Amino acid sequence: MRRLRDLFQALAQLPRLAFLAVGLFVLLGVLAPWLAPYDPNAQDLLAAHADPSWQHWLGTDHLGRDTLSRLIVSARTSLVGMSLVLLIALSVGITIGTVAGYRRGWVEEVLMRIVDVGLAMPSLIVALAVIGIFGTGYWNMILALALAWWPGSARISRAVAVGVMNRPHIESLRVLGASPGRIYFHHLLPSTIGAVLVYATADAGAVALSIATLSFLGLGIQPPTPEWGQMLVDALPYLESAPWQVILPGLVLTLVVIGFNLLGESIALNRVPTPLPRRILLKRRAVAAGWKKAAP
Amino acid sequence: MTSTNILQVSHLCVDLYTTRAALRPVDDVSYEVAAGETLAIVGESGSGKTVLNFAPLGLMPTGVVTDLSGSILFDGQQLVGLSEPALRRIRGGKIGTIFQDPMSALNPALRIGRQIAEVAELHLGMTSSQAEARALDLLKLVRMSDPEARLRQYPHELSGGLRQRAMIAIAIAAEPKLLIADEPTTALDVTVQAQIIGLLKDLQRRLNTAIVLITHDMGVVASIAARVAVMYAGRLAEYGSVEEVLLTPRHPYTSGLIAALPSVDDAPGSPFRGLPGTPPVLGAPLPGCAFAPRCPQVIDICARRYPPLAGGAGTAAVACHVVNARQSKEQAHA
Amino acid sequence: MSTLIAIRLRNAVVLLVLATMLCFALVVSAPGNVAVLIAELRTPKATFEQIRVVEEELGLNQPLILRYGSWLNGALHGNLGVSYKTGDAIGPALASRLPITLTLVVGGAAFAMLLSFALGFLGALWPGRFGDALSRVIALLGASMPSFFVGALLIYALAVELGLFPTFGTAGLSSWVLPWMTIGLLPAAVLSRVVRVGLEEAMARPFALTASAKGLSRRAILFRHALPNIAPTYINALGAQGGAMVVGAVVVEPLFALKGVADLFLQGVLFRDFMVVQACLLVFLTSFILLNLMVDIGMMFTDPKLRRQGANA
Repeated sequence: MRRLRDLFQALAQLPRLAFLAVGLFVLLGVLAPWLAPYDPNAQDLLAAHADPSWQHWLGTDHLGRDTLSRLIVSARTSLVGMSLVLLIALSVGITIGTVAGYRRGWVEEVLMRIVDVGLAMPSLIVALAVIGIFGTGYWNMILALALAWWPGSARISRAVAVGVMNRPHIESLRVLGASPGRIYFHHLLPSTIGAVLVYATADAGAVALSIATLSFLGLGIQPPTPEWGQMLVDALPYLESAPWQVILPGLVLTLVVIGFNLLGESIALNRVPTPLPRRILLKRRAVAAGWKKAAP
Repeated sequence: MTSTNILQVSHLCVDLYTTRAALRPVDDVSYEVAAGETLAIVGESGSGKTVLNFAPLGLMPTGVVTDLSGSILFDGQQLVGLSEPALRRIRGGKIGTIFQDPMSALNPALRIGRQIAEVAELHLGMTSSQAEARALDLLKLVRMSDPEARLRQYPHELSGGLRQRAMIAIAIAAEPKLLIADEPTTALDVTVQAQIIGLLKDLQRRLNTAIVLITHDMGVVASIAARVAVMYAGRLAEYGSVEEVLLTPRHPYTSGLIAALPSVDDAPGSPFRGLPGTPPVLGAPLPGCAFAPRCPQVIDICARRYPPLAGGAGTAAVACHVVNARQSKEQAHA
Repeated sequence: MSTLIAIRLRNAVVLLVLATMLCFALVVSAPGNVAVLIAELRTPKATFEQIRVVEEELGLNQPLILRYGSWLNGALHGNLGVSYKTGDAIGPALASRLPITLTLVVGGAAFAMLLSFALGFLGALWPGRFGDALSRVIALLGASMPSFFVGALLIYALAVELGLFPTFGTAGLSSWVLPWMTIGLLPAAVLSRVVRVGLEEAMARPFALTASAKGLSRRAILFRHALPNIAPTYINALGAQGGAMVVGAVVVEPLFALKGVADLFLQGVLFRDFMVVQACLLVFLTSFILLNLMVDIGMMFTDPKLRRQGANA
């Protein structure tokens, strides 16, 4: 119950725009098949490059497919892909991080050296190379991106796990004779997962960008599955005649990433003092105006 | 008398605003400092002694706004209502400042020499090379060993005492008429504390600088100050010469503070004496005496009306209904 | 300090060896028999004999350690093998393409640094004002827009509609403006936050109050006291962004028809041209490790604590 209340409190403090953008994205992603007015892959070459109309609110692409429907279904593609990448990367990262944080000593030393090497390499380039060797395909993309993201989550998990292990109640559990398995699975793991999931939202935007980028390059989501990066690259040859078909998918993707980035920013603890806003200053002065001043 | 006073503060009120609250950390405070003299301002943390000294100079952290009322005459100039550019010319020029923790108060990324020379460039209009030479002289003046090498060093390479000497060199670089020292010895080892106090006394004699020393250490007060102002919850409780206040404290708070000091006469293992209760959290000004809840001599009127600071000749001025009523009775008898 | 540099150098060499092993292992672990692939590339439906010839030719039948040794030896002498797809030698192709990628990345980094300081100081000099809000919005957009979208927008607005810059080619400065802006926007956004937050954190530290007590103006404190303190953090972030810019180049080079290393890499990835992928990856990893070495040394020069530590060690 306490965790649930904490969660709601955290949600209440989030910036509204971010909440709106991310909420809408998740909603679209989940409900896409019911929300899309057309089959996103239904071609109608006679209606290709149509301007917005009552039939096609946002027009059609070069194959006459309904842009609005494709934008909506792309949200699902992106949401599923992003979730899979984060799920795999976080599972690996949290496992390694918590084991390192639990065992300490040489186990931690070895595991964190591996993580350091992973962090030292430009992960996305390695991921691209992996796709180059093993070929394009949905699961290759997901695994390649997870490969790029696990070291970061491992490092955060270890930091969180070390913090949890240093809490006094873990120490007292150990003294009371709780088994290592109990401490690990009932106390360390749940606390770490909770904290690391919060950090993961900050990364979700970057994962969505990477999926779109790979798809733009033809290495990620393969046609005919609609995806924003792919929609954009499909429309690019017609940039001069139909710029909106390029701009729309880019814009939607940008809004989603802005939402995640704002969430991440509000979570990151880089709070620095800012000047007192004028509105608050006036309020405070009004309070102090009622106070008696010494006669000069 | 006013002609020799370098600093004359009268009825100063400071209202302070943050994102969380409005409060009055300084309420109706008056005192003066003569040229070349040292005034100690004593109080617990949170008593407003730091705000009292730094708010008028515009030295408040980001996100904090202060409104001043009353009057602060410094060297013939009214500081209340002065613009930021005008205050800037005074800060570091006519008024030097020493902070509590010299490690964090010095810039870790700049050499000591640069940090001192900067003041000479700004306030004395010196060229870079003149200012470097001045920095070297200042390091010699604060009796730093191997001053040429120190100029090129960074703060983390110096010991705590040396850092505070560098901080003092920065504060006196433009030969200020007033030096404000905010707990200059609190962060230092006990052996170094005496050296720093000795250095301050020596510099004061040589440069004829007035010093306002903010502290909670009665030992420091006794060794350097001529006068003391005791602050409690934003107001002055007692104000007078060091002998008067330390030897014959009259305000119940001052008496309590001095009685709480450990003494050589105490039997080993005797219990620690302290003041019962805690000081009030600063907020809106209180109608009565802020010390009333902790005061052993409290009477009805204490909670309702604030006692003005009053005192006769030959004694410290005290803000206490009980003490002042007793005094006027004695005077009536005489 | 020299000891500290020696430690960094040793770490860099270890990483380089690991990088070569990774590049080698990638091709070895490739699914399918490489020899079959190549033989079929030459003659469809290659016979067993033909495959054996290819194996012999490429030394594929030798033990792994020997293959690694001869590959590494070749790589050190600029011999990075032959493209399976075109049959061209990869070494010379890389050499001719490297200047284009370098121009792109270095120019983009310069643009990113300029913009990041402009945006960071815009916010720090007038906090809470219009400039601050503007720099925040640009930083947020820059960090949230995919680079292919930025490039498409820039092409549409500045090249197609306004006709200010060419959309492709490497002739003259004007043809580089759009690629530099496209590749530099994301690092500029990230770095501007580093500048802004770093300056603000420095301004909240006690030494800033000391500087204010000296009579310095906010502007002077920002430039003379806060700026030197963010230098190590900034250099570190710049190094990390250098790695991100290689990914950016993979998008930007095809978008602006630049024939650089990243373009070659992408071609290799798209057509599963193992040797090309391997060679490009080796180039990227090597330059990345060298960049990090430079960052470490740069941080040592800007952080007095690190510098003296090395001197005493």
